[in-house]
Amino acid sequence: MSALLGVHNVSKRFGGLQALSDVTFGVGYREIVGIIGPNGAGKTTLFNVITGVFAPDSGHVELRGMDVTGWAPHRICRLGAARTFQIGKPFAALSVLQTVRIGSLNRVRDMRDATAQALHVLEMVGLADKRDHLGRNLTVIERKRLELARALATGPSLLLLDEVAAGLRPAEIQEMIALVRRIAAGGVSVLIIEHVMEAVMRLSARIVVLNYGEVIAEGTPESLVNDPRVIEAYLGEAYSLA
Amino acid sequence: MSARAGLALAIVVAALAVPLVAGQHLLTAFIVALHAAYLALAWNIAAGYAGQFSLGHSLFYGVGAYASTVLYVRAGLTPWAGMFAGAVLAGVIGVALALGVYRYNVRGIFFALVTLGAAEVGRGLVENWDFVKGPAGILLTMQSAPRDFLFLRREPYYYVALAMVLALIAISLGLERSRLGQYFLAVREDEAAAEASGVDTYRAKTIAIGLSAALTAFAGSFYAQFYLYISPDTVLVFEPQLTMMLGTMVGGAGTALGPVLGSVLFSGLGEALRNLPFENTRQVVIGSKLAYAILLIVILIYLPGGLITLGRRRART
Repeated sequence: MSALLGVHNVSKRFGGLQALSDVTFGVGYREIVGIIGPNGAGKTTLFNVITGVFAPDSGHVELRGMDVTGWAPHRICRLGAARTFQIGKPFAALSVLQTVRIGSLNRVRDMRDATAQALHVLEMVGLADKRDHLGRNLTVIERKRLELARALATGPSLLLLDEVAAGLRPAEIQEMIALVRRIAAGGVSVLIIEHVMEAVMRLSARIVVLNYGEVIAEGTPESLVNDPRVIEAYLGEAYSLA
Repeated sequence: MSARAGLALAIVVAALAVPLVAGQHLLTAFIVALHAAYLALAWNIAAGYAGQFSLGHSLFYGVGAYASTVLYVRAGLTPWAGMFAGAVLAGVIGVALALGVYRYNVRGIFFALVTLGAAEVGRGLVENWDFVKGPAGILLTMQSAPRDFLFLRREPYYYVALAMVLALIAISLGLERSRLGQYFLAVREDEAAAEASGVDTYRAKTIAIGLSAALTAFAGSFYAQFYLYISPDTVLVFEPQLTMMLGTMVGGAGTALGPVLGSVLFSGLGEALRNLPFENTRQVVIGSKLAYAILLIVILIYLPGGLITLGRRRART
């Protein structure tokens, strides 16, 4: 199997906390995969290991057929995995356009071309009219969109989204779902951490369930909502797709 | 031609004409102001754009001053060339320092303290090094030797200082429009987000310090040629560092003109205070320090982005 992303037996420990233990899963080309799990299950740590913020204690991460375990985040971004942050990290004193252009410069070397590409991405995420606003003046949804735009501008093959729907109003969640679908339709694989069940259930072809740092289940959304292990660990009650 | 370009041209022409109308005393004040502006611009590259708040830039200033002077006195190399040797040396020291410091993730206040310590180490080394005359310092002979960057009149020094400032403004503007400059800004704003966006932050920070250090060294060489005397107590002290910070913070960090504005204002203020009818030097020093402090506090409270934001606010409304 030539997967885009392969996570193999990854473990990570912080002091007395086993944040990840023996996690194995993959993401194929043009696939949307969801990661769910209760708070503290290790979802964001998993993102941090995949994107090079932390090296795993054991196991390894493969991206586009290369072993990227222990690589610095910028090298992993260059190879083609870009992420958003759960708690947005806008460049507070920079404009929206400048922020996204910094992402564009990852693939586009010329400033003028990078500006054009950044504008294109801003158009796509619906931030074009805010291009001159400073990062610090954006609303919550605008920050989420900016996170997404900056990651998307780096030209990734794999986009890792950390709770981009959290805190949004129902109508905004629908917009976000449509946006992620559009991005995926453009040929980008998406790995998505999400607490908003509607978003993750509707978007993902496959879902990985984490609990206490372990993968406790994996499958289609339909199969998981009836899985007793998942219900016990996370959902608490049966979730219906209707 | 836009109004902005017109204004810029008018200021440059006025600056070029200053020696035609100013006497030697006033010209000295202008040279001091330009020197301060250059220092602020050089520090601004690391601190203002890349957010690397170095407190050790006096080290690079001292390296520039000593390199060109020692090469001139000991080897007869003209300081016109020696100042470039000083810049290279300061750049290498800056890069080596940055590589070590950033390797261990030293950031923020700790970075500031480490750089401050590095400057102290440099001072200690020079004070105990006989080859560079230790604490006694090095004296240059006052003479007219244009080939050796020595003049009897003020005008040549003024034009050299002006050219240095203009060149550094151009470098700053070019940086703002370049990929590297955008990387500097990303590093300043958020290193984790910058890395995640494909920016090699380790490399960007190291280049910022190296470039800023090399540019700072030119100012040290200029100081030596202008004052004709350097010693650990004049160039390896905190004073130039203070000049850089005051001008940059007051005028506006991370902009190409803010540091110039701030430095000229502070130098002008210093000159004005000197002419107030105080009874003795002590009162002048205390009075001017008090005025500096009050002005600095007022500006930092009411204009945290520096004086340069005044113009921007008006432009927006």
